[in-house]
Amino acid sequence: MSSILEEIETKIEGLKTSTTKSNVGVVRETGDGVARIEGLSDVMLNEMIEFPNGVFGLALNLEETEVGAILLGETTKVSEGDEVRTTGKLLQVPVGKALLGRVVNTIGQPLDGKGDIKTDSFYPLEKIAPGVIKRRSVSQPVQTGIMAIDAMIPIGRGQRELIIGDRATGKTTIAIDTIISQARLNKAGEKGEVKDYRPLYCIYVAVGQKNSNVARALAVLEKEGALPYTTIISAPASDTATNQYLAPFAGAAMGEWFMDNGMDALIIYDDLSKHAVAYRQVSLVLRRPSGREAYPGDVFYLHSRLLERSARVAEKFGGGSVTALPIIETQAGDVSAYIPTNVISITDGQIYLETDLFYQGIRPAISVGLSVSRVGSAAQIKAIKQVAGKVKLDLAQFRELAAFAQFGSDLDAATKARLDRGQRIVELFKQKQYNPIPVEEQVAVMWAMQNGYVDPVPVERVKEFQIKLQDYLQTRKESLLAAIRDKKQLDENIESQLRAALDEFKATWR
Amino acid sequence: MKINKEVRQLSRQMLQASFTDGQLDSGRISSLVDSLIARKPRNYIGVLKNYRRLLRIEVEKRRARIETASEVDRETTSRLVANLKKKYGSDLTTEFVVNPQLLGGMRIRVGSDVWDGSVRNRLERLQQQL
Repeated sequence: MSSILEEIETKIEGLKTSTTKSNVGVVRETGDGVARIEGLSDVMLNEMIEFPNGVFGLALNLEETEVGAILLGETTKVSEGDEVRTTGKLLQVPVGKALLGRVVNTIGQPLDGKGDIKTDSFYPLEKIAPGVIKRRSVSQPVQTGIMAIDAMIPIGRGQRELIIGDRATGKTTIAIDTIISQARLNKAGEKGEVKDYRPLYCIYVAVGQKNSNVARALAVLEKEGALPYTTIISAPASDTATNQYLAPFAGAAMGEWFMDNGMDALIIYDDLSKHAVAYRQVSLVLRRPSGREAYPGDVFYLHSRLLERSARVAEKFGGGSVTALPIIETQAGDVSAYIPTNVISITDGQIYLETDLFYQGIRPAISVGLSVSRVGSAAQIKAIKQVAGKVKLDLAQFRELAAFAQFGSDLDAATKARLDRGQRIVELFKQKQYNPIPVEEQVAVMWAMQNGYVDPVPVERVKEFQIKLQDYLQTRKESLLAAIRDKKQLDENIESQLRAALDEFKATWR
Repeated sequence: MKINKEVRQLSRQMLQASFTDGQLDSGRISSLVDSLIARKPRNYIGVLKNYRRLLRIEVEKRRARIETASEVDRETTSRLVANLKKKYGSDLTTEFVVNPQLLGGMRIRVGSDVWDGSVRNRLERLQQQL
C-alpha cells in the first residue's frame, strides 16, 4: 500500500502545475458540427482546440475577428459562451502494428469491443507527402488475384489506381478481393512458401458507408482469415461530416507508419465521392465560398494531397510503400462529372466497371477500353508479361470485331479465330467474388490460352475447363506451380513441363 | 452573423478612424456614430452593430480581468496593475473580480491570453494527467 502511495506522490511531484499561459476564446455560435469562436488570437491553422467537457475541435477558418472550427466527438456538449483554449497540437492518430485486425473510428478509437489499442506511436493526420528525392519508381506488383487486373491493368506497390463505376458494379468487391489475396500471400510468406516476400498490410477506410456494408466487409475478411493483416477505419453515414472528412487522412497516416518503417501498405478509400460530399458539407457550414456543384474551391487539393501521400520510397529511406486504391461512384456512367475527372487526373490509372458488362454476367465487369494502368508492365512479374503481353490488344480487337460481326455472317478464318479467342478470354477473366487466384495459376491458365489449349473447348465450358485445370495443377503439379512462383518467369524447362501437364490434362478432360 | 461586404468595410473603416495615437478615442467614436446616424447610409444599422462588435473586441484586448479567490490587498493590486501595464501598454484597463470557485490563487485574462495560477486549474490538470 505504502509503495502505491509513494508512487502517486512522485507522479504528482513530476507533474508541472505552476501557472500556465494559454490562449483562449469564446464560442459565439455553434451548430451543424461547427463552432465560430471569438478570440483565440494565437491559434494556428489545423490546430486542435479544446472545448469544455473534453470535446476537441479543429481550427479550419482563421478570419479577422473569428475562428471557424469543426467539432470532433460529442457536438451537443458545446454551447454558446463556452471558453475554448488552444492546445498547440495537431490532430493525430495511433499508428503501428497494434491496429492490425482492428476496427477503429476516425481518431483511432476501437469500435470492435476488443479492448484498448496498445501503441506508443502517433502520426499527425495531415503530413506532407514524400518528395522527389525520397521516391523511386514503382516496380513491385500488388497481386490482386483478379486475373483481368493482374494481366491487363497491373497495380504496383506505391501506385494509386482508381476503381470507378456506377453503384452495384462490384467496386468494393475488387477491393475486398485484393485484401484477401494479400492476406493469403502474407500467410504463405510467413510460412516461407514464397521467396523474398514482402508482406502487404491493408487498411480499409469506409467513408459514408452504410454500417451494414461495413459489417459485411468485416465478416468476409474475418471468414477468409484476412482480418489479422487489415485495419478497418469506419466513418459510416451516421457519423459526423467532420469524421467522414478526416477518415481517409487517418488511413493515410496509419499507412505511412508502415512505409516509414520499411514495410508495404495498401489503403482502400471507399469511397472518395462521399468523402467529397462530406467535405462540401463542412465547407458550406463554415461559409467558405462554393464553386462548381457547390464543392469548395480546394476539393481538388483535398484529394490530390491525400493521394500524393502514396509513394514507393527509395531503399536508402527504408524502401517501404503505400499503395492507394481510391473508389469513386459515378452516376449513370458519367466519368466526366466533377469529382470523377478530378480523381482520374490525380491517380496513375483507373479500373472502370460497367453496368452493362455486369448484367451480361461478365464479373468483374471491367471495361478493357476505358481501364488503364499508367505504371504498366513495370509492375508485373516476368511470367505474367510473357503470357499476357498481348491479351489487352486481343480483347480490344475482339470488342471491335464483335460489333462488326453482328452485321454479317460471312467471316474470314482469321477474323473468326480472333472472335473465338476473344470469347474465350472473356470467359477466362470471369471470376467469382472473394476468390483470388494465385499468380502462378494465372500464368498457367493464360499460358494454356496463348498456346491454343482452350480454343477447342466450347465457349460455355471454358470456365469449367479453367476450374478443372486449376484443380489438376494444384493437386498433381504442385512442384510446377512452385517453380513458376519462385522463378517468376517462364523458361524452356517450365514451358516444356507446362506443355506436358496440359497434354496430360487434356487427355482426361471430357 | 451574416453581414455583407459593404457593412464590413464601412465598419472596419470606422474602427480605424476611432484611434488617436494608437488609443481608442471616445470623442471620435461618438462623433463617428453621430455623423453615421445623421447621414443614414444604406444598412447603417448593420454597420453600427458590427462597429459595436469590433469596438467590443478592441476594448477586450485592452482590458485585464483579474479573478482572485479572495480579496487582495491594495499593495498587491497596484503592483499587479503596474506590471500588466508595463507588458500591455498604459491604456490597459483593469477589473478585479472575486471568484471563490477558483479555490485559491489568481487568474488573469487580457484579450485572449490567460495566465491561470488558480488551484482549480491545477486540480483540473492533475485530474487530466492522472
